[in-house]
Amino acid sequence: MLSYDFDWSVLWKHPYGRWMLEGIWTTITLSSLAFLIAVTLGLMVGVFRVLPNRITRLIGGSYVELIRNTPYLVQLFFWYFGLPSLLPQASEKWIYDHVPSLPYWTGVVCLGVYTASRVGEQIRAGMISIPTDQYQAAFSTGLTTYQTYRYVIIPYAIRIIIPPFTTEFLTCFKNSALTMTIGVLETTGASYLIDSYTWHGLETTTAASVVYIVITLCVVLLMAWVERRIHIPGMIARGR
Amino acid sequence: MIQIKNVSKWYGDFQVLRDVNEEVKQGQTVVVCGPSGSGKSTLLRCINGLEPFQHGEIIVDGVSVSDPATNLYRLRTEIGMVFQRFELYPHMTALQNITLAPMKVRKKSRREAADHAMKLLERVGIPEKAHEHPANLSGGQQQRVAIARSLAMEPKIMMFDEPTSALDPEMIKEVLDVMVDLSTGGMTMIVVTHEMGFAREVAEEIIFMDEGSIIERGTDISFFQNPKSPRTKDFLDKILM
Ligand SMILES: Nc1ncnc2c1ncn2[C@@H]1O[C@H](COP(=O)(O)OP(=O)(O)OP(=O)(O)O)[C@@H](O)[C@H]1O
Ligand SMILES: [Mg+2]
Repeated sequence: MLSYDFDWSVLWKHPYGRWMLEGIWTTITLSSLAFLIAVTLGLMVGVFRVLPNRITRLIGGSYVELIRNTPYLVQLFFWYFGLPSLLPQASEKWIYDHVPSLPYWTGVVCLGVYTASRVGEQIRAGMISIPTDQYQAAFSTGLTTYQTYRYVIIPYAIRIIIPPFTTEFLTCFKNSALTMTIGVLETTGASYLIDSYTWHGLETTTAASVVYIVITLCVVLLMAWVERRIHIPGMIARGR
Repeated sequence: MIQIKNVSKWYGDFQVLRDVNEEVKQGQTVVVCGPSGSGKSTLLRCINGLEPFQHGEIIVDGVSVSDPATNLYRLRTEIGMVFQRFELYPHMTALQNITLAPMKVRKKSRREAADHAMKLLERVGIPEKAHEHPANLSGGQQQRVAIARSLAMEPKIMMFDEPTSALDPEMIKEVLDVMVDLSTGGMTMIVVTHEMGFAREVAEEIIFMDEGSIIERGTDISFFQNPKSPRTKDFLDKILM
């Protein structure tokens, strides 16, 4: 017999239940906001890398190489512990003491910047996979640049980009767990905190895992539905 | 209909077109041939303003292509273009491919555009494929839809850039038949192709390009029998084998 006494009630007993729910909510909002930054910044980086301009390509390329080739955890520490130490000591202390939810917003920015480097690469890959003749075919019928992008290129590119985007969002969502290392009480952080009060880590980490799985499955199902809706008949879906 | 006068074009230091002169009269079909990299596609792209050129002049239906005041979007509606790899829009059906430009550029109603598109699909012989997506069509069928898409703008000129070189042999004829039909119907055409049978049948003039210049030109068959330069002879020997 194991001597471990299961007590699942730690998951909903006051105040742990509230911590857990707040953790889940934090995970969802933090990873969604980060992904919003990732898509906006990633679109810029991706477009920068395909523009016929050496300077934008250098900027985009350096960004991707710098961010993609350093561990995400190091970046998180850099943003939270490293960057503020550049400031004079008084203002550094003031920031840690007075900026509300500093770990949370640092997590959003860091995760967003990190994911942008990956999203940017996907966008670049999607754009360069559309042959230039496709643009020219549209132009040759008299469509304007705007109409060509609006009716031909973007609808085409979206279908190419959606499967890798789903993967990137899920990675972003799971990476949000690491923000507990700078003190964000998201799902993983909350389960760790409850464990430290109750010694029921098995229950809390199991619950956290279930939360991640359920949300991931929901996203996968949603995106599969979206992909089916916009699927191009006769074209084989590209692998993940 | 088309006057090309002393046109030269460079990509950086590399000269793609060298002092090209050519005139295509209304209703004529001109066939352009020449080895890979000789500038054939570039010449077509200069004619409808998809590529700028640095020197010379191109006049299409009285309008100068390089004049900054020219509305290139308008000009392009007068010139249909067919590509080697069809370039149909993969997310649209054959019918939607054909009706897009008439609806967005000419502001035709969906109904009117679709009626016209169906007539064109009949003309190229595949009305039953109207609601298929490109990926479900054979190469020959896709190219015929692409031709119908260009014709939908009722252009005065049609340009073809190696329209059959991506096709299996058994599909080449169905595309060439449509093109012969267009040519004999009085369309002004510039066709980049190595299908010499087609050239013999309908071309009023055949020009041979090499390294950016037109080095040989001839009306019909004389071109094949006594090419002036050894370069042309060499090339013709290869493609006529
Ligand atoms: N955007 C570009 N930048 C630089 N060089 C180019 C560009 N497009 C074409 N070229 C070069 O210009 C030359 C002519 O190209 P073009 O495509 O017009 O040849 P082509 O006669 O159509 O050949 P093919 O039979 O292979 O289609 C080639 O040497 C090509 O490498
Ligand atoms: Mg070419």
